[in-house]
Amino acid sequence: MTKYVAKRILMSVLTLFIITFVLFVLIRIMPGDPFPVERMSAEMILQKREELGLNKPILEQFVNYMSMLLSGSFGNGTSLYNGAPIKPIMTACLINSFKIGVLSILFGTAVGLAIGIVAAINRGKFLDGLCTIVSILGVCIPSYVFMIFLQYFFSYKIPFFPYFFDPSNFLASSIMPSLSLSLFAISTIARFTRNEMLEVMNSDYVKLAEAKGLYGFELIRKHVLRNALIPIVTVIAPLVVSLLTGAMVIEKIYGINGVGKLMVDAIAGQGVDYNYVLALSIVFSALYIGAMLVLDILYGIIDPRIRLATKEG
Amino acid sequence: MRKILMTVLLLVTMIFTGCGGSDSAGGNSKLSVMLGSNVVSLDSANATDIASFELIADCIDGLMQLDSDGKAIPALAESFDVSEDGKTYTFHLRDAKWTNGDPVTADDFVFAWRRHCQKAEEYSYVMGDTVACVKNADAVIKGADPKTLGVSAPDPKTFVVELDAPVPFFPSLMTFATFYPINEKFYNSIAEGSYGTSPETFLSNGAFALASYVPGAANIQLKKNDSYWNAANISVDGFQYQVVSSSDNALTSFKNGTLNVVSISGNQVEHVQQDAELSKNLQTFPSGILQYLSFNQDPKNHHAGALSNVNLRLAISNAIDRESLVNNYVVNGAKATYTAVPVNFAPNAKTGKFFAEDQKKFSNVVSFNVSKAQEFLAKAKAELGKDDFDLQLIYSNDGGTSTKIVQAIKSQVEENLPGVKINLQPMPKAEYLSNVTSDNYDLALVDWKPDYDDPMTFLTLWTTSGCDIAEHWSNAAYDKIIADCTTGDLADNYDARWNALYDAEKILLDNAVIAPLYTGSNAVLISPNVTGIEYHVAGVDRVFKNVKLK
Repeated sequence: MTKYVAKRILMSVLTLFIITFVLFVLIRIMPGDPFPVERMSAEMILQKREELGLNKPILEQFVNYMSMLLSGSFGNGTSLYNGAPIKPIMTACLINSFKIGVLSILFGTAVGLAIGIVAAINRGKFLDGLCTIVSILGVCIPSYVFMIFLQYFFSYKIPFFPYFFDPSNFLASSIMPSLSLSLFAISTIARFTRNEMLEVMNSDYVKLAEAKGLYGFELIRKHVLRNALIPIVTVIAPLVVSLLTGAMVIEKIYGINGVGKLMVDAIAGQGVDYNYVLALSIVFSALYIGAMLVLDILYGIIDPRIRLATKEG
Repeated sequence: MRKILMTVLLLVTMIFTGCGGSDSAGGNSKLSVMLGSNVVSLDSANATDIASFELIADCIDGLMQLDSDGKAIPALAESFDVSEDGKTYTFHLRDAKWTNGDPVTADDFVFAWRRHCQKAEEYSYVMGDTVACVKNADAVIKGADPKTLGVSAPDPKTFVVELDAPVPFFPSLMTFATFYPINEKFYNSIAEGSYGTSPETFLSNGAFALASYVPGAANIQLKKNDSYWNAANISVDGFQYQVVSSSDNALTSFKNGTLNVVSISGNQVEHVQQDAELSKNLQTFPSGILQYLSFNQDPKNHHAGALSNVNLRLAISNAIDRESLVNNYVVNGAKATYTAVPVNFAPNAKTGKFFAEDQKKFSNVVSFNVSKAQEFLAKAKAELGKDDFDLQLIYSNDGGTSTKIVQAIKSQVEENLPGVKINLQPMPKAEYLSNVTSDNYDLALVDWKPDYDDPMTFLTLWTTSGCDIAEHWSNAAYDKIIADCTTGDLADNYDARWNALYDAEKILLDNAVIAPLYTGSNAVLISPNVTGIEYHVAGVDRVFKNVKLK
């Protein structure tokens, strides 16, 4: 087991290194320059580029960046424009996105499971059709469109929730963005739950349980849901990461100071803020790889065949 | 199962109650104001945008401030003396305090000015010889010892500035955030790079103080600064800014009462005017922004330098119906402009007349005259030996109005000038700026906001060593006039300088270096219970010191 975990960790670190390199190169070749500053003369821009080491060969820049990264700093640790430090700002934004993300995961899982269960129990009936329509709509409608819809009806027409995100009124103002963000999770989880449950419901041991006289909620809770949940966890893990790392458009529309908005601002500001874009991309990648690593290890613990397969492979 | 549920609930409660951090709002502000873009920085050396300058001016007073008519009046300087040669300004400071209780001293100005030059950021240029002419500023920007900068503090209440040349608009420059003070002791006491990133790492000496702020914040809360020297005349307890990037969102949030002050787009002005109730709240203010077409004259550009032909440039400039642009496409009170300096801007200190009051001054080269445009085009075709011109017009698609304007320009030019084809090329702002500053364009839609109230804020753009948007045009006579008017013989002769600036403008427009289009305007919805917001064309856009809530 230790060998398996060590191997997985090593693979994750290597993946992160490769991703960092690719990101570093991509950001430097994408259109837009960090210094398209209107009020600076060409001479001053050269001076700035030199100070920041941007005139050095790209590989040398990467080596410098990596050495700074290993010592715990993203580049020189500040924005290229306003000199704002990256770490505290990114942490504050991550916390905001995380809070909204947690709410949307809770919404998504609870509602998704409920819809999936109702659909599975009522297979082929009206409720099943309705739940299927809801989950298809959830996949089709972009979350920000749903957000605008909610904002229009529940903030403007019926002023029930705040129109913009208000940190001092967190819970009320985070309901609408969390709901919108959870839309995709709801439909994905609902579809998976329905399919898994149907499979389990057709299995012999459930039939046996029914033959024993167990039925209704007890049967679903004790035998069906518990067994159907295992594959569902696999779907939830990547959803969790994507919900935690923010939603660019929703955060922008609703004025949430989260990592998604931070990323958009870093890319679409006056110039491309290399330091911010790279730092955020690395953190997003690390979170994703971290989640996958945890999942891999969990699989290894739950199902020894996976460990063995890796050994043989 | 129950245990797991309880643990999850506990965790969620901890997350929502324990991570409040710096986001908790302060004050009981009732005034909510829209900001069209993020605040880039509260550090006056790094600030480059309208939103940052506005917020800094809410919180920090400079030596001077703008009154409701845009005239510079004393702020932290109770009075000032100017030497006979106009090259030395001595400011006498009033008793004022920072929010940590420290007195505001002349050393705070010396520290901030030296730091700004040393940091050599985008706005450091205003210290140099094209604008404020502070002695040795250009040398310090290039790396010389900051102590050689021409500023000193003989005593805590006296701040002396030495200039390389007399600057007639120097007092009005002092209203601009780059010239504001920073408390040196406080600055050195906080972590490096953290200045202005939170209410704890920022000191105010102005009307308001930060209650809640983080860089890039969508919501910023300000509270009244009770230790402000003029606190008795500040009548609101505070207010909040909400960053709203979509004008649709802005209008809706005004309608439902979430925001009291919002800016709206041209399309929305028409919609608002049709609504009897809403239109009562509509006000327009000139913004001083000049929108113009920049012609890239670089002979190396990919259309074989067709735009290096002056007649082709004149043809395009005279084929554009500017009145139609402002009446049918911009529709927010913008004014058609036929000069390189915008209208309603830079009043003459003696006559009070705006520099560009006479919009027909250069009508022989800038007008809407199709037959004249076609004559210029015929000449261009003969000189270049070409009948067809395929030109690319680049613009930033981040703002809503630009697309309609460039489409109108395209259709007008193509209709009025047979053989000229314009391809529109929208791009994100960063990419657009990168192209414009690296001369990778034929035509570009540019807007330029004045930094200070003098024609020079525009005319220095087109000198050979000017800003980075280079049209690849260089003219020795033009450069000489600008040099004479900044640090040369004309600097201390107000009338001669003023007239010479017209001569420079004539050279510029005769050569059709740019095609001016219109002077921008802000269309704003303000709730009837809010009064006293002051709008200015240069420097700080909006001032909230005199705002009142009914």
